[in-house]
Amino acid sequence: MKRILLALGMISIAAISSAQQKEASKPWQFRSINNLGLLEGETGSSFQLQTINGAAYKSWFAGIGLGIDYYRYRTIPLFADVRKEFGQAKNKPFVYSDMGISFSWLTDNQKMNYRTDDHFSNGFYGDWGVGYKMAMGKNDALMISLGYSYKKITETYPSYFAWYPPIDDITRPQVNNPPKEQINYGLNRLTIKIGWQF
Amino acid sequence: MLSLSGLVFLISGCMKDKITRTYKISTPIYEVLSSFREKIKSQPAAPVETTGKLSVMGKYIFLSEPYKGIHVIDNSNPAIPKNISFINIPGNEDMAIRGNTLYADAYGDLVTFDISDPKNVIAKNFAANVFPDHSIYFYAGTIPGAAINPDSINVIVGWITKDTTVDYDPGGGVYPVFYNNCPNCMAAANAMAPAPSADNNSKVGTNGSTARFSIIDNFLYTVGYSNLSTFDISKPWQPAYSSTVQVDWHVETIYPLKDKLFVGTNNGMYMYDIQNSPGTPKLAGSFTHVRACDPVIADDNYAYITLNDSSACLGFNNELQIVDIKDLANSFEVKSYQLSHPIGLSKDGNILFICDWKEGLKIYNASDVNNLQLLKQFKDDVDYEVVAENGIAIVLAGDGLYQYDYSDLNDIRLLSKL
Repeated sequence: MKRILLALGMISIAAISSAQQKEASKPWQFRSINNLGLLEGETGSSFQLQTINGAAYKSWFAGIGLGIDYYRYRTIPLFADVRKEFGQAKNKPFVYSDMGISFSWLTDNQKMNYRTDDHFSNGFYGDWGVGYKMAMGKNDALMISLGYSYKKITETYPSYFAWYPPIDDITRPQVNNPPKEQINYGLNRLTIKIGWQF
Repeated sequence: MLSLSGLVFLISGCMKDKITRTYKISTPIYEVLSSFREKIKSQPAAPVETTGKLSVMGKYIFLSEPYKGIHVIDNSNPAIPKNISFINIPGNEDMAIRGNTLYADAYGDLVTFDISDPKNVIAKNFAANVFPDHSIYFYAGTIPGAAINPDSINVIVGWITKDTTVDYDPGGGVYPVFYNNCPNCMAAANAMAPAPSADNNSKVGTNGSTARFSIIDNFLYTVGYSNLSTFDISKPWQPAYSSTVQVDWHVETIYPLKDKLFVGTNNGMYMYDIQNSPGTPKLAGSFTHVRACDPVIADDNYAYITLNDSSACLGFNNELQIVDIKDLANSFEVKSYQLSHPIGLSKDGNILFICDWKEGLKIYNASDVNNLQLLKQFKDDVDYEVVAENGIAIVLAGDGLYQYDYSDLNDIRLLSKL
């Protein structure tokens, strides 16, 4: 996973530098938004990082985002981002909508708290909010936003507490196959982000 | 930015995680014990779906279907074994045979059957709750072997299962829910009295090495999770509970040899002497080994212990250990042999048979325990139990019952598969 993130980061940097050289006269302009965020919910406070890369057309922007989200369980959100700016001023408000998949990627500490046969599967990821963009030069801008973020994770594990007939563990170890239970985590958070747009 | 952060902190209290737990919830289906017992009898032959324990008596093979019952197989011709009937015994795990009497467990009860007509096996007696480890329809306080009124007791005979989703607090912990007993499970007096009967045939069936039941002369010996119990069967259809001795935790198997009993546990082998007091076995010696699952057999000089790393036993070793038992009080390991995942084993003269799981059946010349010679190996399927006698090795495998002819050691061959 670390290698994937590193590769994606390098691709993003290469794409940014390449696109910025060509973008000047095109109606579609490449943009990269990189956010540092705070997630606040019932579980507590956590940080998140995001990089969103895509194209801007007039007041619209559409891109693909990749991040890392430490709320309750470390996850990697991969999502589509659409945003709309309002007004003609250099500094202006915007709204955004993110939807995608949250890939589970537990930390070693989080894994230690669970049995080795637990399985965490991926789930829906979404983030919707409003923000304010402050221009810092020709193409650069500082952005702050406030939104509602949701991610879902499903934990599956053997149902250790189910009732079974006595199992003869000598001759029939293969029958020791308990049914599965699931815990579905639907995690609701408020998020505040500060970001830099190239 | 700071004011936004403050706002986030202020209203984040409205953000609640929605965490749910989805699991199967099962509701028991009850049946009165007396009605439940009426169904414990012969039925038409049924296909062998899952093989369990093995007992060979004359021309018949008794093959258990775990928790369901026992298949009776006419083995008059080992090349063409015939599945002739099925004895319905819910909760059955083990059995032992002497003469025309079959002893089998049904959950916590010991059931005595008349098998003089193998196609029409009849339950003659029920000794209630003599295996408390496996009891599911008696209160914990019920005295083993005490008389009960089977009309007052309900038995769980099935479950209605459905998926259930509830709100879940991960910090609250989850505790086990045991359906150990049922409503109205009261022990009562006046059990049905078995009709006394005589059985002059004292021939004892040969059990596999993973058996938990064993018979020597007039006593039936059974092992529970941590103990060894004895029943006087001098009146074959009226087994009388005699005694229970504590052995060790997680007892697995019992093997009879003349006036000795060899009990296999996770931690080692315990040897009991029954010469002077067959109703109360006396510990004569023990041999400890690393933690593992370990069926054991023995001859006059050596015990043969297979250790395997089944997860249930939390072991790591897969080997055959040969232990010198000429002096039970001072037994010692002679030699060990690495194997794949050995389970059941049997010995006929100097020929040693070992079921080595996916490696199949291995047949050794064991005339020199320090230098076992592999004679033949059959990789038919996952093998886990074997009884070898009179030139025929009967092997339980994951996909059925195999028989091999070893009367000619230079031409050991597969005879049949059922």
